[in-house]
Amino acid sequence: MTTSSATTSGSTATAGLRASAPTPPRKTPPGGGTSRLHRHEQKWALIFVAAPLIGYLAFTLYPVCFAVYASLTQWNGLGPMRFIGLQNYVNLLGDEYFRISLFNTFFYMIGIPIGLALSLALAIAMNRKLYGLTAFRTIYYIPVISSLAAIAILWQWAYNGDFGLVNQVLAFVGIDGPNWLASTAWAKPAIIIMAVWKGLGYSMLLYLAAIQSVPRSLYEAAQLDGANSWQRFRAITLPMVRPVTFFLVVTNIIAGAQIFTEINIMTPGGGPEYSTASAVWHIWRQAFRYQQMGYATAMAIVLGILILIITLIQFRLNRRNSFVID
Amino acid sequence: MRKSRLTAGVVAGLVVASTAACSSGGGGGSSEGLTFMFRGGEDEKAAYQEAIDRFTEETGVEVEVIVTDPDQYATKLQAAVAGNNVPDVFYIEQANLQSYVTSGILMDITDQVEEQGVDLANLWQYGVDSYRYDGKLQGTPDGRLYGLPKDVGPFAMGYNKTMLEEAGIELPDADEPLTWDEWLEILKKLTKDNNGDGELDQWGTGLNVMWNLQSFVWSNGGDWTNEDRTQVTVDTPEFAEALQFFTDLTTEHEVTPNPEQAQTLDTYQRFMAGEIGFFPVGPWDQSVYNELDFEYDLMPWPVGKTGETATWIGSLGIGVSTTTDLPDEAVQLVTYLSADPTAQQTLVDANIQVPNLIDVATEWAGEEGAEPANRQEFLDIVQDYGRPMPAAVTYGAAWYDELWTNIQPVVDGQKPAAEYLAEVQPRMQQLLDESNAQAEQAAAANGNG
Repeated sequence: MTTSSATTSGSTATAGLRASAPTPPRKTPPGGGTSRLHRHEQKWALIFVAAPLIGYLAFTLYPVCFAVYASLTQWNGLGPMRFIGLQNYVNLLGDEYFRISLFNTFFYMIGIPIGLALSLALAIAMNRKLYGLTAFRTIYYIPVISSLAAIAILWQWAYNGDFGLVNQVLAFVGIDGPNWLASTAWAKPAIIIMAVWKGLGYSMLLYLAAIQSVPRSLYEAAQLDGANSWQRFRAITLPMVRPVTFFLVVTNIIAGAQIFTEINIMTPGGGPEYSTASAVWHIWRQAFRYQQMGYATAMAIVLGILILIITLIQFRLNRRNSFVID
Repeated sequence: MRKSRLTAGVVAGLVVASTAACSSGGGGGSSEGLTFMFRGGEDEKAAYQEAIDRFTEETGVEVEVIVTDPDQYATKLQAAVAGNNVPDVFYIEQANLQSYVTSGILMDITDQVEEQGVDLANLWQYGVDSYRYDGKLQGTPDGRLYGLPKDVGPFAMGYNKTMLEEAGIELPDADEPLTWDEWLEILKKLTKDNNGDGELDQWGTGLNVMWNLQSFVWSNGGDWTNEDRTQVTVDTPEFAEALQFFTDLTTEHEVTPNPEQAQTLDTYQRFMAGEIGFFPVGPWDQSVYNELDFEYDLMPWPVGKTGETATWIGSLGIGVSTTTDLPDEAVQLVTYLSADPTAQQTLVDANIQVPNLIDVATEWAGEEGAEPANRQEFLDIVQDYGRPMPAAVTYGAAWYDELWTNIQPVVDGQKPAAEYLAEVQPRMQQLLDESNAQAEQAAAANGNG
């Protein structure tokens, strides 16, 4: 921190000197011998700046521009592109399956508040002194570090209507479970349950850290004022973990909008009557199975814009509701 | 001044470096050897590696192998194409052949294959023709050749021999197919409760609609499209009757497990557990099925009103990139893997495929004590009654997938087959029209029209 500010002020100083010096600075270096070091540092600074900048240009800006152009073409991803203007976007409006897949994608987000509530409850539970606490924390975290593909296959078996684990458990309590992944009504809830289960450990961990950093004094003060535990939770814990909630909501929505692997493995055809197909899955299928790369790119751009809008709204809402405690 | 020059220098340097890295990766690998991209499970990888090693030994041509998992292959290949880094030799799916040809990615290997003296007559005609394309139709015998078959995958009907014998049912004839009615009678006899707990634990069959409907439709005289693949014909009475019979097996006659069940996983597991009488068998299943507790064998598919048995054959091809530096060696590798007797023996011994060479295959089918005993059925399918999957020979597959997307209510018996097919036909037709239009545009854009 200090070094960088020193360099900045140093460079302004030398620039001023250079401008006023009548002779070229190369021949008479100003500042008595600092210039070689200065030049050396400046070179390295530029190289360090160049690395992320070029990375950004090559791997973000260029692909984005390319995608925008590709979305205006008819292109099979193999041959030459043919410019067709906004035709892809017009077609997109009439694409019933894209509408369904967008709807499904947002439907899956029902899982986000459920997951957050559960993980907050778990985090509070884990915050107490419990026998075997570490073991529990580890167990809840295992799904997070497991391969999503492997988990999806396991859940596909668990959801098997005939002899899957889920229905066997339901049968114990006398419920005749549905054929989860082959039923239009139950396929989406099935995926949500799995996604909640998978994400629980991660959210729990963040909440746990947030809860543990809430100053004890707040609770003590509230207790003296006669607040019961629910009131303490409502008035202290919940607002104090709000930054974490905000972070989780934003990242979960962005990740949720891109849900793909589970869908592709658990319901390879997009589910009965397209009931599980997510937007990204639909895009992927158009691009790589039907070789409609231009059209798929147009859909990806629409999805990207939707995510951007939602995120901006969230930031706006959060700013309005935020507060600071010093 | 200095600053900006330095920046420019750094940027330019990095840009040059990165483009150099890109271009050295392009053009299909180094000029010293070939790159070969393929896919497969463990057994397959090992068998192919062995064959490729021998190729290098015999010809001195180094081959760099890129293997992917089966479900990632198409995506990775397309990424390689987009990155202008096409492997010299690679697997090509029947369904993608036309777009790869019209986009100028697959090389026309007709002349080189001829020069290298490959006896195409000793390869399955279906396999070779699958990679012929005349600019309009794929699979026609006089089209140019854009690849050779890696294998052919005849999808045969099989049965649990032990179960049928225990039930005292006469084993199906290897040459005379059962009619649907005869078959249904057997299915009903096989569907029962063996351990007396009041629940069925043995069923006649259990078929997934996506992979098994084809046989029923074709043997009943129906088809997906007309001959020049411009008209979707799923709304014909023959097609509807076949689909209805297929779903009735589950919902009316109840000779399959769980009426709601349309997933293969179940019935595949149940067949292997000896709970199902009739189940399809592909050559790739042999290595697993041969280890089962019961005996199984192959038979012709039961027939609808044409009386002619029918089923589909899959195939995967091996093609050469137009950008290869070593076209002759690349074609040599293709012909070696597809048609060299020693290479074929290696692959067949691994129990993963039917031989590509007719003489090797005939010998293989006649082997004493082979399991399944009726291996000949696989060859009959390849030579005689197998057909390509409907979407394998059209430019795109979206029109074909549309049939399956909303089929669940029919499979569940909630909607009559004819009603559904009448609804879905216009949507499929529209997608097929779009696909055909794209094929023309792609061909025109590339000057291959």
